[in-house]
Amino acid sequence: MLLLVAWRNLRRNSRRTIIVLVSIVVGVVSLLLYDSISYGMIRQMLDNSVGASIGHIQIHGKGYNDNRVIQTSIPDRGRAENAVRGMRGVKAWSSRVPSFGLLSSAQGSSGGVIVGVDAHSESRVSSIASTIVKGRYLEGEGREVVIGRALAGKLHVDVGDKVVGMASTRGGEVGSELFRVVGLFETVSADFDKTHMFVPMSSAQEMLDMGGDIIEIAIVLEQPEQAERIAADLRAQLGPDYEVLTYRELVPLLVAQLEMYDQMLVVIYVIIGLAMIFGIINTMLMSVFERVQEFGVLMAIGMRNAKVFSMVMIEALCLAMIGTVVGVLAGVALTLLLREVGIDLSVFAEGLRSFGAGAVITPELRFNGILAAVVTIPLTTLLGALYPAWKATRLQPVAAIRHV
Amino acid sequence: MEVIRLQHVEKIYADNGVPVTALRDVSLSIAQGEFVVIAGPSGSGKTTLLNIMGALDKPTSGQVLLENEDVSTLTSAQVAAFRLEKLGFVFQAYNLIPVLTAMENVEFSMMLLGMDKATRRARALEVMRELGIEELAYKRPNEMSGGQQQRVAVARAIVNKPSIVLADEPTANLDTHTGAQLLDIMENMNRVHNLTFIFSSHDPQVIDRARRLILLRDGSVEKDVSGTA
Repeated sequence: MLLLVAWRNLRRNSRRTIIVLVSIVVGVVSLLLYDSISYGMIRQMLDNSVGASIGHIQIHGKGYNDNRVIQTSIPDRGRAENAVRGMRGVKAWSSRVPSFGLLSSAQGSSGGVIVGVDAHSESRVSSIASTIVKGRYLEGEGREVVIGRALAGKLHVDVGDKVVGMASTRGGEVGSELFRVVGLFETVSADFDKTHMFVPMSSAQEMLDMGGDIIEIAIVLEQPEQAERIAADLRAQLGPDYEVLTYRELVPLLVAQLEMYDQMLVVIYVIIGLAMIFGIINTMLMSVFERVQEFGVLMAIGMRNAKVFSMVMIEALCLAMIGTVVGVLAGVALTLLLREVGIDLSVFAEGLRSFGAGAVITPELRFNGILAAVVTIPLTTLLGALYPAWKATRLQPVAAIRHV
Repeated sequence: MEVIRLQHVEKIYADNGVPVTALRDVSLSIAQGEFVVIAGPSGSGKTTLLNIMGALDKPTSGQVLLENEDVSTLTSAQVAAFRLEKLGFVFQAYNLIPVLTAMENVEFSMMLLGMDKATRRARALEVMRELGIEELAYKRPNEMSGGQQQRVAVARAIVNKPSIVLADEPTANLDTHTGAQLLDIMENMNRVHNLTFIFSSHDPQVIDRARRLILLRDGSVEKDVSGTA
């Protein structure tokens, strides 16, 4: 019956109830949108990073990640490639010869990573082939190079122009090679575009005096969450002379950011909760003060303080439940809609690219985000109702009945 | 059987820091089944005395025994439980819960006692039928006249079978005819169920029906006459 009284009391002043409900709904929708957009952005940064060139797992020679020199090549290319080829859950893989060097044109030069790749297998691992904005992707074994559009601008070159790549050879000499620019790519990361250039594997091996050796195998998995298991299997197969790292170890900052995300979200929840709680206190207090005489009568006929307290809290709980359900439905619908169309932030494209995020953000709905809103908002509403409910119990029946 | 005993009850209010004596050395006893009217001019202490008898207010000094229980020794929860089980209240302004129907208003105090819905409903209907207001069962207070609301309030007051019903100016907002009808009902309840009724009123038609009249003046009992009706 207390629930019935609470429910009818909410309908009694429908305008006030609607105002409180709107504030709860806005709070829930804001939380869900903030969560899905922020998480989607960080996820996108990670996916871009993994998709651009890193892959889910990389294999190197022992010690390569501590000192990235071409002398630390993969000890036995055939063995490593066979291990990857036979591994279940591997979607695609690409052998590479990355080296740090200098790319020069007649008008300028720039340092960066010259990556020797097999054009076909690389196109299945990295997003370079799909992000060509001018010219074409690598085709074969000729002396061709695809570079980032940003790097092309820096070197003042375009498709068809010649550039010279220079890097230290395995023997410590300076190796150089003349390449013709066949394509320009533009990924979502401005930094990547300024520093990476892709050439055919044979050209890189020749320039670096590597013979048939490779330095890296990048692997893309069918299910990224299997990365730890598959990496462990590869480690077991290849032994201690190989270094097998997952993307979690290769981009630890982004992974940490993703993992820290739930903790960062708590701060946002506290801020939104604080903004809401004062509105709830104010509204519930008004609701109590409007019914002082009624509470006085209820107390006079024998209603205990605990029941009076419960009555106010049940009203707040009703508000919280309705507001949260409507808010979650609206928030999920809005997030799904935005996920479908994407949030176009082209005006901030440059800034977003410098963080490795695209100009179109795709919100990502998370169960944790919904759960947090479903727990936080009703809890905040109930916290906000505590003081008004306590005030109701402090009323003295005699004075309250006379209250006008 | 004695249901109320007041011994040397004094009540002093602080009005803007100035002490005002509302009741002075009031001692009286009321037995089960009495039909008592507390009368007196405005400010004589009628409502204060009724509130003390109803355990809604505490005396500054003196002792209040309700059904031989010293209410000053009870916790607020025990006092609330005592009021719920032993006392019924009828207020001048009816004070029904506006969001509940007449039936739900009558049921409410039974709900506080923890009765199940079927028992509550049956008992509420029984009392409403006895008071001739069963046709109002599904009406809200704003759909009823003052007299109808006050009859529902009486039903609410008696539904838990209290031993005492305290009525503060119950006819003050009613016309003479409706007031008389309400008093008929209360007299009937008193006769049939041996319910103790204590009124605070200065309405002549209430005073005329008193079988015991306690006249207050300046917080003291000026007259306590039985067999007046």
